[in-house]
Amino acid sequence: MKNAMGLELSDSERTLVECYQGLVRVLQESKDLAPFERRNALKAVAALWQVVNGLDLDPGNIYEIGA
Amino acid sequence: MKESPYWNPRHETMPRDQIEALQVRKLKNLVAWTERQVPWHAARLKAAGVTADSIRSLKDLRRIPLMTRDEWMQAQLEKPPFGPLLAAPEETAIRYHLTSGTTGRIPLQVLDSMKDWEWIAEMWCYGFWGFGVRPADIVFFAFSYGTFVGFWGAHYACEKIGCLVLPGGNMTTEARVKQILSMKATVVCSTPTYALRMAQEAKSIGVDLAGSPVKRLILSGEPAGSIPATKRLIEEEWGAKAADTAGMTEVGTIMIFECAQQPGGTHIIEDHYIEEVVDPVTGDPVGYGELGERLITSFGRGMIPVLRYRTRDLVVRVPATACTCGRTFDIYEGGIRGRVDDMKLVRGTNVYPRAVESIVREFKEIDEFRIHLYTADGRQDEIEVLVEIPDRDGVNADRILGELATSLSQAHEGLRFGVKKVENGSLPRFELKAKRLQDDRIVIGTAGEPRVTA
Repeated sequence: MKNAMGLELSDSERTLVECYQGLVRVLQESKDLAPFERRNALKAVAALWQVVNGLDLDPGNIYEIGA
Repeated sequence: MKESPYWNPRHETMPRDQIEALQVRKLKNLVAWTERQVPWHAARLKAAGVTADSIRSLKDLRRIPLMTRDEWMQAQLEKPPFGPLLAAPEETAIRYHLTSGTTGRIPLQVLDSMKDWEWIAEMWCYGFWGFGVRPADIVFFAFSYGTFVGFWGAHYACEKIGCLVLPGGNMTTEARVKQILSMKATVVCSTPTYALRMAQEAKSIGVDLAGSPVKRLILSGEPAGSIPATKRLIEEEWGAKAADTAGMTEVGTIMIFECAQQPGGTHIIEDHYIEEVVDPVTGDPVGYGELGERLITSFGRGMIPVLRYRTRDLVVRVPATACTCGRTFDIYEGGIRGRVDDMKLVRGTNVYPRAVESIVREFKEIDEFRIHLYTADGRQDEIEVLVEIPDRDGVNADRILGELATSLSQAHEGLRFGVKKVENGSLPRFELKAKRLQDDRIVIGTAGEPRVTA
């Protein structure tokens, strides 16, 4: 996986990015999450967004999922 | 693995051409987002012929119209409370803050989403980590925790770093000093003015702050954190290193910080902002080493896009190589030098409050001061500095008053300064932004019409 600067991410970095992407997907698609699941996942996404942004993956804004 | 001295090592040490490529890419994204989400901005961009696709280099930034605080205030008045500036629904916000109001008629009101609020803490992490704050630290915040954003982001940054955070809101100065000692705080965060206030209080209750575990002070909220004399005094009184930072409610957090090398200035967080320095009158860019007004474009808070905002802050930008820390982020030498509207003209001489403070702080015996401008006999501008000099053994107040008057005059083209000793404790103390200048001058020829309106 390469970032927007054309740099290859390390295995650990790629895992973090995949974790973020997986959480965003769950929050977009799942309508049956319990409050504790959705709100804690949102907090995690807000934090992981900083990682993805800092790795130059251009995550954009994610207000539509509530973060 | 060796611990990094940088919060984001890749970005903070990026070659200049890559920083600029990153900024151009982010600028393009920001313009695209703003065009799509904020009609108020979209109309301005369209009128200037700016589209995301037309952004190809940093030179294209200059085609984007400047945004002023007046415009922001006017937009809020027309569509209260936030103006037509939000790029996302209000329901996504989790925080509300407003400006502290050193200038302007009404405070600016802002909202942050969960992601934006996390980003606000992220910016403070650059500063805290860069100055050497680590998870083992115990951090005390001498901060009132109200709607002024102040150190809020710094508080969450320290939690993120893993520090033990001591929220020192709603406490007397004495209680704060005592808690700093009893909890063995290693880092203290406050305004420069309040750092000195706590040092005074410690002396009055017989506490030796210099012998305490405090090793670092993180200063913000006033330009004084980069005034060498003020900073030296703070460091001496606390027996600790002090770092300057500066932020603004308009972006929600800090945009500059001083690293552990203490280069006499503050690094710009250039992977999250584009900072320009321009002539405040003509708007033309000024070069390295020249005094000018900073403009800010922020890539952070998506909820309220900020493009080429006129800050009114005066700065002198120098290349990153002025510091030995290895960061490639440029530096504002001397931090924020003052405000464009701070300058006072007294009998033809420019007087900047910051310059006066830097001289006053050379005299350690002075606890507090105020700059007072008035009109004598209804026809002549006068300037006086009122000082508190507590009676202590070996302190000759008359000598200090004389030397201070001479130093002030010499630094201001011979302008005569009155210097008066006032009763101890009679001048106001400040926890947030200090307001030490009082301008009581009248319009000459009138019966007392104030020259400066509130």
